[in-house]
Amino acid sequence: MVALTSGRLSMNKWVYLLVLVAAPVFADASGGPGSSENAPSGVAQGRQIYEQYCAACHGRQGEGAANWKKPDEKGEIPPPPHDETSHTWRHSDAMLFKMIADGWRHPFNKSDRLTMPAFGKQMTAQEIQSVIDYLKTLWTEEQRDYQKTESQ
Amino acid sequence: MRTIVHSTTRAAWRLCLLTLAILLPALAQAQSADDAQPVTSLTISSSGALLVLQGSDLFAIEGGTLTEITLPATNQGAQHTSLARGADGSIYVAGPGLGVWRYDSAGENWQPLNDTLPDLGVTAMAAHATQPGTLYAYLGKDGMFRSRDGGAKWVRVDSGPPEPVLAFLHSDMPGSMESGWLFAATTRGVSRSMDCFCFWGDAGDLRGTVSAIGYDPAAPENVYAVIEGQLHHSADGGETWISLKTPQSVTALAFSPSQGLVVGTANGNLLARGGANEWAPVHE
Repeated sequence: MVALTSGRLSMNKWVYLLVLVAAPVFADASGGPGSSENAPSGVAQGRQIYEQYCAACHGRQGEGAANWKKPDEKGEIPPPPHDETSHTWRHSDAMLFKMIADGWRHPFNKSDRLTMPAFGKQMTAQEIQSVIDYLKTLWTEEQRDYQKTESQ
Repeated sequence: MRTIVHSTTRAAWRLCLLTLAILLPALAQAQSADDAQPVTSLTISSSGALLVLQGSDLFAIEGGTLTEITLPATNQGAQHTSLARGADGSIYVAGPGLGVWRYDSAGENWQPLNDTLPDLGVTAMAAHATQPGTLYAYLGKDGMFRSRDGGAKWVRVDSGPPEPVLAFLHSDMPGSMESGWLFAATTRGVSRSMDCFCFWGDAGDLRGTVSAIGYDPAAPENVYAVIEGQLHHSADGGETWISLKTPQSVTALAFSPSQGLVVGTANGNLLARGGANEWAPVHE
């Protein structure tokens, strides 16, 4: 049974992040200039893209907007966190991909606009997936396990 | 309830009236003892039969015939509180001390689905509106559990809303990030979440202890909730609510394809809302 409590970053989480970020660095050491290993790893690339496109609304550390659980003065649900305190980890890879590519509007928002813009024209499929891979580093081990099951 | 649904002949009516005239005081006392038991829960079978849970009794009402269905034998203190119909037509009963059971219509018996639940303290259950094997059970402090294989394996998925859940439902109302919505009847009002369990939030500002909740499968934005016997209706998925006048205190509700909104009352009666928003006894 999966315990779904949120908490501070665990040691396992840091180890997971370190491995994901560091592994390509070691791989790069064996590759020559221009080799594919010079391309940013999925997670490192995802972090760059996240900071470029997502952090302004969802927070540099994925902390989300303040009071994200209640509609703002426009009647719109503010951008939620993407870290372990929120619910991003409850969605499958396919659903996360769809939301990034196509955007999202909460059905009970008072406005009609996509409060989560569509990034399908700015990002390639590989880039979107790299953002998802980066988001996974913000979750607990248990949350990653849950999300992995949801993605199957 | 039986008097509501049994078709009777004219001769039988005359006999009944005569009997009533002679024995009215005694009958009145007997009725308060037998029929005053509130309707606990309602659902509709795949054939359209109205299933009525009333205390420790379960009835199927269809085509003017009332059939009693024997409930699973239970431990002392167990209660039957929830009825649900799965997307494949399976019927489930659940309750504290009982866990979750599925009715095997072929064998006319009940199968327990409790092997992987932490205990039998199920205070509410619901079945997914469109996925046959997906069930939800709420176990109070243990939180919410989901099974995707018809109850063989339950997995804790969430703690649920902040307040205790007394009943809940799954709806295929559009707009969810996943496959639908969960509406929970809590001690604070109606709580709502997409079925990814992303976030439980207030469904409007309806306040009070909600004892029953239901929705119209043909128009899923229409949600109904009962607070202290008063029926409330939302036509916009729980954003806003209005009170509906009913002749008796409501304790349970369901949607019948043939009769629309059906409610069970504290007096043990079954009422259906007609086209002019008037309530009449159920005649199946």
